[in-house]
Amino acid sequence: MRKYESVIISDPDLQDQARTDLLDKVRNIIARENGILLDVDDWGSKKLAYEINKKLRGHYFCLTYGGTGDLVKELERILKLSDDVMKYMTILLSTDETAESLAKEAQDAEAARAQAAAPQEAEETTDSKTDDDTGDSDTDSTDSEESGETVTDDQN
Amino acid sequence: MYRDQAQRGGAKNRFYQRRKICRFCVDNDMVIDYKNSKNLKQFITERGKIIPRRITGTCAKHQRKLSLAIKQARQIALLPFVGRPPQ
Repeated sequence: MRKYESVIISDPDLQDQARTDLLDKVRNIIARENGILLDVDDWGSKKLAYEINKKLRGHYFCLTYGGTGDLVKELERILKLSDDVMKYMTILLSTDETAESLAKEAQDAEAARAQAAAPQEAEETTDSKTDDDTGDSDTDSTDSEESGETVTDDQN
Repeated sequence: MYRDQAQRGGAKNRFYQRRKICRFCVDNDMVIDYKNSKNLKQFITERGKIIPRRITGTCAKHQRKLSLAIKQARQIALLPFVGRPPQ
């Protein structure tokens, strides 16, 4: 099994419902092709460096998953057909993965997320206690966990 | 004539130049990642071209990874293929 990362740029004018539908569709394909979804990172709406389909903004998703080449083929075919997706790119992260190692990684990622969520909630409650007048501030986080050997697999 | 050439290219005429160091070799925290466009922006010109390593001092190994990351970032519109011309 191989580990891949796909960045999907969806239409910024999409309704929330359509966006969740799109993600569900992607999840279904990964499940159908016996892939393991490791992480879904929502970057939100970002300004594009150049126009795509006459649009200057795009809503980014970054998916990390394990699977075979056929999964990527099928996923990219669906993404190409979808009108909601403006552009996508898949990158190969590593080639020597087993189903067990990926499942373990998925579990670890989930545990880390749960752990990260717990203190954050605690912080929020303390924040609201100390000063009420400041609402929630925008948090722009662009997490970059993985890099290393990346190989451009296929690009549109 | 021989002598002239030697003098022209000699160490006397060359102005002092600081030795360039690869920033990725020095700083281990600085990873090359196509998603981190802020970091990659330091290695492209205003026009969006990749700055050669003879200017930035990046080592060959890291320049290869850097150029790949910049090209990937361009694909997903995080960096421009062609930037705005300098005013």
